[in-house]
Formats: sequence, structure tokens, C-alpha cells
Amino acid sequence: MGKYVVKRILSAIPLMLVISFLIFMFIHLIPGDPARLIAGMDATKQEVETIRRQLGLDKPLMAQYFIYMKGIFHGDLGYSIKNNAPVASVILPRFKPTIILTICSMIWATILGVFLGIIAAVRRGKPLDYLAMIIAISGISVPGFWLGLMLIQFFSVNLGWFPTAGLTMAKSYVLPSITMGCGIMAILARFTRSSMLENLRKDYVRTARAKGMSEPKVILKYAFRNSLIEVVTVAGLQIGGLLTGSVMTETVFSIPGLGRLLVDSINFRDYKVVQALLMFFSLEYIIINLIVDIVYGFLNPKVRYQ
Amino acid sequence: MKRKLVASLLAAAMTVGMLSGSTMLTFADEAATEGDVQTVSADGAVVTATEQTKATDNDLVIALEGSVSGLDPQNISDTNAISACMGMYETLLGWDDDGNMVGVLAESWDVSDDNLTYTFHLRQGVKFHDGTDFNADAVIANIDRVSDPDNKLNRRRLFIITDENGNETKRITNIEAKDDYTLVITLNQPYNVFLNKLTQFMIISPTALKEYGNDIMNHPCGTGPFIFKEFEEGDHTTMVRNDDYWGEKPSVDSVTIQEVPEAGSRTAMLQTGEADFVYPFTSDQINAISGSTDINVTASPSNIMRYVTLNMNLKELSDKRVRQAMNYAIDKDAYIKLMYNGMGLPATSCVPSIISYYEEQTPYTYDLDKAKELMEEAGYGDGFDLTIWGDNTTQEIKGMTFVAQQLSQIGINVEVVPMEPATVSDSIYVDEADAKINMWYVNWSASDRSFDSSVRALLTSDMVPPTSANTAYYRNSDFDKTLNDALASNDEETLKADYAKCQEMAWEDCPWLFLGNDEVIYASKSYLSNCKVNPDGSLNFEHAVIAQ
Repeated sequence: MGKYVVKRILSAIPLMLVISFLIFMFIHLIPGDPARLIAGMDATKQEVETIRRQLGLDKPLMAQYFIYMKGIFHGDLGYSIKNNAPVASVILPRFKPTIILTICSMIWATILGVFLGIIAAVRRGKPLDYLAMIIAISGISVPGFWLGLMLIQFFSVNLGWFPTAGLTMAKSYVLPSITMGCGIMAILARFTRSSMLENLRKDYVRTARAKGMSEPKVILKYAFRNSLIEVVTVAGLQIGGLLTGSVMTETVFSIPGLGRLLVDSINFRDYKVVQALLMFFSLEYIIINLIVDIVYGFLNPKVRYQ
Repeated sequence: MKRKLVASLLAAAMTVGMLSGSTMLTFADEAATEGDVQTVSADGAVVTATEQTKATDNDLVIALEGSVSGLDPQNISDTNAISACMGMYETLLGWDDDGNMVGVLAESWDVSDDNLTYTFHLRQGVKFHDGTDFNADAVIANIDRVSDPDNKLNRRRLFIITDENGNETKRITNIEAKDDYTLVITLNQPYNVFLNKLTQFMIISPTALKEYGNDIMNHPCGTGPFIFKEFEEGDHTTMVRNDDYWGEKPSVDSVTIQEVPEAGSRTAMLQTGEADFVYPFTSDQINAISGSTDINVTASPSNIMRYVTLNMNLKELSDKRVRQAMNYAIDKDAYIKLMYNGMGLPATSCVPSIISYYEEQTPYTYDLDKAKELMEEAGYGDGFDLTIWGDNTTQEIKGMTFVAQQLSQIGINVEVVPMEPATVSDSIYVDEADAKINMWYVNWSASDRSFDSSVRALLTSDMVPPTSANTAYYRNSDFDKTLNDALASNDEETLKADYAKCQEMAWEDCPWLFLGNDEVIYASKSYLSNCKVNPDGSLNFEHAVIAQ
């Protein structure tokens, strides 16, 4: 197991190098010149050139890439063009809100989603199944933007229970978490239901029932445990998505998270920040996939890693 | 059981529907712009609060759409950063409410007859927040800092002339402190907008500069009415009252500028009282606050010029009659109504009325017969095809579509091409031979309010792309010469005459479709007074008062 994990981590290094190269080339291929954006529409070409020189953007692309990578290996992510500050100092403060929101959203979405999925599967074709699936479909269909604004209007403006913007107190996490988790709750409910239905049809479930095992035990210990592999895979992917930040939720609730930073940085052609964020997101997916694979082993002893 | 369930679900769905109908926050029906135009009273009040409430604290919270990119006043370019910095820093010169230039850190100033030497008599007894005295040496330290290329500051442009080959010359040939409070600056050539530029140049404590260098952005230290407290990039900036301020002390205890990108959320914050002031307040939000009695909405003039450049290198657009016909074909009142709910004015010159030396021109009144006549005369009775470029935001696309629709009335078939903003700029700043631009839907505002900055980069021959933004490829040597003569002069009469002549020429030649000048719209709680938005979109909260 330990050997497997080390091997997986080591194999991520060449992958990250390829990713870094692709990201670098792609973001520099997008039309748009940060020097012009800094200088403004009225600046002269000469003034723009001066800024370009100052930013090191006048060098050939490959040279810029090597300078950048050299910095990375020295732990230097470069300078943000927009903020004129080290990239790390721009990105780091944005992690906290995104991570806390991800955790809050995942917790409620997983609990409720899995619960609805199990209920729906057990009560298949019954009103409870329909109710659960209506909730799930609504969760997927409601646009986060709309839901966020509605929650603000109802709970902040009309009832005054929660603050509208920012993350100044514990209460401020409630509405954004609901908005972010809604779609995930729905997806998990649907996956849990279909996976449970499949497992409930399996022979070992029939055997367990024939042995006279109690129904809750059959459902939770036999059917659900086997369904978990699928649930964990889906949940892992969702965590990966949430950790890249949600532009919609962050915009509606004025949260300084990673999603808005990424969009702002792309609009400003703040290459170094975009690069650092995309590399981090790639790394994050690699790590989450690894964790999911390891969890498989715990869930199903038949899965063994060589 | 099943029927009951369906019924209750239906009821729930209807409740949600009603909720969304009665409290719709953002997407107010666009049709409301038709016929349902807001009336603005003489003092700019769009909605007046019927209830005078009192605040529970004396802390001013302002919700803004965009971000404050940083707090180094010599390295910022966005308006919100300027707003935040202006709370903590001051300039030598500034503007009063009527748009006159007034002294701030300079009490008075003289300009020599040859327009080269500027003498500033500085205010005495002013201290920076760290206790350092404000004096002539402090100003010199700031100019030295910004001029040093190693500091890579974008305000350096104020003090440098770059020629076509990229060689740089310093605009300031000599700077000296005659005594502690008399500063003499000598320029290498006459430059009448120098004083205008200084209204944008904020002075930092020289002691803090020595201590922090370019890290000063994290430790702002000026002479302003507020002292820096905290800055969280992408979230908020907070400053507290400077009790030792030399001028009239602020009334509020603190000011927080918070970034709230979504218009509906800004409105909600105002309704809950989490924010006392929001800007911009989009006109479609007016319906959303109809239930609130303690909110004032105000419109005030801006320095934003909305126009469409016409590439005069194109055969069809090289004919002045065609360009004039196009201006006649556009109903500017309908434009302001459609785009800004009536809050704005049709353009009456190539600069907004707030700009120095503005002269009103005879409007191209909406007249399709005249437009068609001119098109016939020019030999384009059957019209022709054009493209219009612009940013891909909803508002810009709406404006471009309006222009296209209006021009179709005189047979000009316009294809609307929205592009991502940085892509537009890439497509525009290309060599003349490669230029594909026909029309550009764009806007411009000169923060220093000078006539020169309002037109130089957009209408002089030297400034055609890729050099700068004259995408009309307007080349009028008379216009260039008059503008340059004015730049070298300091005589009021000459300036007035020269700038009037420039405006007449541009208006007659029609290198642009002159659209309009929209207003800045902001909303505030009724307990807040004296908090305003300047014509360039920056904030004026220094004298804000919160009724307790």
C-alpha cells in the first residue's frame, strides 16, 4: 500500500510538468496583451512597449517558460501583474473561504444526498421515491445564481436571519453553502439511488434476507456498503470541482474565493496567477483521485494495490 | 396520499414563483425601459426616501462593483483603487464641487510666462499619519520615486515623454525646494495639462517610503482624512478617521469599501443596512427597492463619452456626408432611454460637458430624411455593409444592436461583432495595413478632466493604431496643430478659442457617431448625507455624515 502511494505520487511529477507546459502555452496563446490593459486604451505603443519590457513579456515564449519554471523550482511563483505583488500572497488568502465553503457544502450535501438516495431506492416507485427525486431534480435544475439571489432576498432582506455578503461570521457561510451544495446533493442522491437499486437486486442481498437478517442491516451493511464505491467516486470529483471555487456563488455572495480570482485574472491576462491557479487545480485533482483510490481499498477488501 | 403530495408540491412551486415575481432582484423586465423612463429632478434625485431613519453606528460601509486592485497610489489605474487611496492620501491640487481646480496640499501656485516653471506654495502644518512633516522635500521624494524606472510604477508616465523609438526624456528638468514650503518645478517644454495631471498625483510619507519601499502598498501612509486600517484584496478596504487631520475632520468613525460584484446583492445589502451606500446602482434595480422607504437614488453627471469610431480609411466612410448622414440617422434620445433608463444626455460635442473648455455644438437632430438625402448625395442611396466591434457584455451588445438597427434605416447593413474585451484590444492595436476595423463601440473618460486628455489619444494623426486609440484614422492637420498650440499655451483666451475650434472641427467632420454621456447612479440610506460619486466614478466620502 505505502509503496503504491509513493509510486502514484512520483508519477504525478512528469504529469505536472506536461500540464505546466500546456497551461503556459495555452494562456499565452489567448489573444490579449496585459501591457495594453495596464497602460490603458489611450497609452501610446511606446508606453505599452516599456511596460511589456518591464514585465519580461518581450522575451520569446520558450525563454519565458524556462524563466518561469526556474522560479517554480525555487519556490517562486512570480509576480501578479494586476496587483504588483508575489503570486503566493495574492492566492493564499483566497484559499480559506473556498476550502471552508467546500467542506460545509460537501457535509450537508453528502448527508442529505445519500439519505435521499437510500430512501428513494428502498421505497422505489412509492411517493417517497418521487419526492426524493423531485428534490434531486430541482437541485440540479435550479441555477445557482437565481437560488443565491432568492435566498438573500428571503433570508437576508425579508427575515434578516443571515448577512448578505462576505464571510464575516459563522452565519455567513450558511446561504453560500446551501447554494453551492444544492447541485451536489442532487447528483449524490441520484447516484446513490441507482447504485443502491443495482445492489439490492444482487444475490448476496437475497441470501442475506433469506438468512433472516433484519432489513435495515441488509440495506446498510450489504447494499449500501457496496454502493459506496460509486458514491465516493462521485463525491471526490465534486470536491475537486468545489475546490476550484464557484464563480457564481462567490459573485452573488461577494466572497473573495478562488473562482472569482481565476476569472478576474483571466480577464486581466494576469498570466502568473492564472498559471499558478490552474496548476494547483490540476494537482488537486491528482491528489483527490489518489485519495479516492485508497478509500476504495478500505471499502472493498477485494481491491488491492500492487 | 399521492394526490395530496402533488397538491402540496404545486403549492410550494407557486409560492416560489410568487416570491420570484414580487421580489425579482436583477433581471428587471427590459421592456420597462420603453416608456417607463425615470424622471430625474434638478438635484439629480431619482428616488427620494420618504422615511428619515437613523443609523445604529457611525461606520460608513460602501459596496462597490469592482475591486480595489491595490493601495500604492503611484501604481494604480482602476477607479476604485483611486477612491480608496483618496481617503488616505492627498494631492497638491484637486477639484471643487463646481469643477474648478483648487489647492489641496498646495495653497497656491504660479506659472511663469514661458509656461515652463511652476512654483507651488505648500500648506504648512500638515503631518503624515506617521508624524512626518509634509514639506517640499516630501513632494520631491515622491517625484523621485515615481520617476525611477526600477520601481516600475505606472504613474511614471506623468513625468516621462517617450518618442517613437522608445527613447525617454524626463518632462521635469529641474525640481528644487526653495524653502521648506516653496517648491519650484521646471519642465522641458510647455505642457498646459501638467496641473491637471497633478490632481492625480498623491503624496506618500517619505519616511514610510524609506522604510517600506515598494511594499508601501501594504502600509499606506498619507496626509488624508482617514488612516489605513486593513486591506483584503478582493474583499474590503477599511480606514478610520484621522483625528489630527489638518482640514475639516471627517464625521464618520470609519469607512469600509467592500467589493460586491453582483448588482442584486448590492441592492440587498442596502436594504438590510449592511451597506450604507452602493455604486453603481443600475437603473433596473429601481423596481427592486420600491418596497423600501429609506433609500435615496441619485444620478449625477459623468465624464463618460459614449461613441462609435468610423474608420475613415474605408472608401464609404471617407465621405464626410456619409458620416454626417449616419449621425443624423441615430435617435440619441432613444439611445439614452433604452440604455440608461433616460439617465443621461445626448452628446453635444466630442467631450462631455464636465470637461474643461467644453463648447456646445449644434446637435445632429434625429432626421431620417436629411440622412437619406446625404446618402443619396454621396452616391450611397442603396447603402452598404459594415461591421461594428465592441465588448461582449450585455450592455455593450445592446448598444451595438441599437446602432445597427438605427443605421439599417438608411440602408447601412451592420453586423454586430461582440468580442471579449482583451481580444478587442488585440484586434485594434494592429498595423494600419492590417486594420480590419470598421466601427468600434466604445467609451472614454479622462480622469484629469482636461480637454487634451479627452481627445489627444483618440483623434490626433499621430495616435492611429498601433500607436494609440484613434481608430477613426482621423487625420486633420488643422486639428492636430490647434491642439498642440493649445498644449503649449497658458493663456485662457487662446485656450478657449483653440479648444472651441477643435470641437467645431471634430463635430463637423464626424469621425465618430456621437452617442451620449450617461450619468453615474448611486443609492444610499436616507441617514447618510454628503457621500457622492465624482464624475469619473471615484467616490467622495470625506465629508459623509451619518445621522445618529
